[in-house]
Amino acid sequence: MKRDALALEDLSTIADAIAARRISSVEATEACLARIESWQPRTNAFLRLHKDKALTQAKTLDSELAAGKRRGPLHGVPMAHKDMYYRKGEISTGGSGIRREWRAPVTATVLQKLDAAGVVELGFLNMAEFAAGPTGHNVHHGHCRNPWDGTRVTGGSSSGSGSAVAARMVYGALGSDTGGSIRLPAAACGVVGMKATYGRVSRAGAVARSWSLDHVGPLTRTVRDNARLLAVLAGHDANDSTSSQKAVPDYEALLDGGVSSLKIGLALPDDGPAALDAQIGAAVQAAADALGRIGAKISAVTLPDFTALYRAAEVMVKCEAAAMHRPWLEKQPEAYANQVRTRMEAGFFIPATQYIDALRLRAHFVAEFLATMDGLDAVLLPAIPFPIPTIEETDVEAKGGPATLSMVGRFTGLTRPFNTLGVPALSVPCGFDSNGLPIGLQLVGRPFDEALLYRIGHAYQGVTDHHRRVPA
Amino acid sequence: MDDKTRTAAGIAAGLQGLKYDDKRLAEIAAEVEALNDAVRKAATERLTFDDEPAAFASLMEREARQ
Repeated sequence: MKRDALALEDLSTIADAIAARRISSVEATEACLARIESWQPRTNAFLRLHKDKALTQAKTLDSELAAGKRRGPLHGVPMAHKDMYYRKGEISTGGSGIRREWRAPVTATVLQKLDAAGVVELGFLNMAEFAAGPTGHNVHHGHCRNPWDGTRVTGGSSSGSGSAVAARMVYGALGSDTGGSIRLPAAACGVVGMKATYGRVSRAGAVARSWSLDHVGPLTRTVRDNARLLAVLAGHDANDSTSSQKAVPDYEALLDGGVSSLKIGLALPDDGPAALDAQIGAAVQAAADALGRIGAKISAVTLPDFTALYRAAEVMVKCEAAAMHRPWLEKQPEAYANQVRTRMEAGFFIPATQYIDALRLRAHFVAEFLATMDGLDAVLLPAIPFPIPTIEETDVEAKGGPATLSMVGRFTGLTRPFNTLGVPALSVPCGFDSNGLPIGLQLVGRPFDEALLYRIGHAYQGVTDHHRRVPA
Repeated sequence: MDDKTRTAAGIAAGLQGLKYDDKRLAEIAAEVEALNDAVRKAATERLTFDDEPAAFASLMEREARQ
């Protein structure tokens, strides 16, 4: 197989081809490296590329396989990750200037799991400073660019993860999601992103944005790839007390159940801060129609008013971020981008009682949302309510102004509620806007219903080809 | 400087050891007021004496179908 054709294959196909020794891990790694050489200058997706180390790893994994040892379901597959997952002794910037040369004291649990599954680590990817920002701007390391149009944003904060997976530089990547940071870049770049249930994946060894709302998860080209990755990542971890003891299903084995008789509520908000652009609404309606044609029962649903929930989430993020960043905010406030610093500062002024009440409210918000879901298996809605804007028009650091701030604020209008609720949400490509940029849908489920969301997403990808299109 | 900005100034200098100019303190005061009001209203409508933060994690486990 030619090198570029190899890079264009999806993660599961490559993993299976390596396992069957039809191709080697070195070939797959070289294919990604060639792709990175041509796409990195256009996207700035990588912060650090470990070319030699990755090739050495790939050679070792090929030798192990030749000797009959397959580490796991991702043996020999090249990936790269948002630069916030610690690897002991190595630089981990968190997208910041403050930690530009900082070396991690531990290895993140999810990286340990990927190591055990046989992944080749190509390097670490661009991200918003300290995971605070929904667009992909970064004043310290350069903005990340959308591979579909380099003048447009990738979505954030897992900007490099969305960009690298979409440009076929890597077969999959880790992101993290506090208010939409996996699903926004997945939607904007045309790939699949899963924010699993809070507690499904360990956060140990990952840079925190908000301990209460952070979710670790994968971005991939297909739903099948995502299911395979989550099965590796998920599960209890003694180093993260919020991780669940629940058994991890074999998500990939459950993919082919179809959608026949599943009840899916379609939510297309037509007013408020997340009111939809018409072409986004039309694309998600078309996705609902496609699911309806293969047996799903689609009905309109009105989501609860998320205003109070959204404010409670802001209280949690601001208070937790202010507490963890206090030493740097006191000593070197100028080391932050203005919009990153100013978004945290209110946390020093919010009374503790208000923060605790925000946490106490969370169970009530979940109960109210599950009441909305009564009789439904999942809710379908857009990920981003408007077409993907340019880097320039969303540059709050350079431009500021109420219109820019409002647009940036609207990015998370349909994603942040599900971080507060903790329920799983899967972003899947569902079309392209009039500028040729991807549109993403979201499937939201009940707690720990990741397998069902994957089943719906997989069925949808079986009858559509949005995920097969590749940026040129 | 209005009362709310003055309160913010007191918290910054007197309780948190932080320095901000008056313009920024006014912005923060307005932001905090909006967040506090929203959470206080939601809490009044929903919370009882027995509500605790850990109820969230328990509910998630309980509501899982598998």
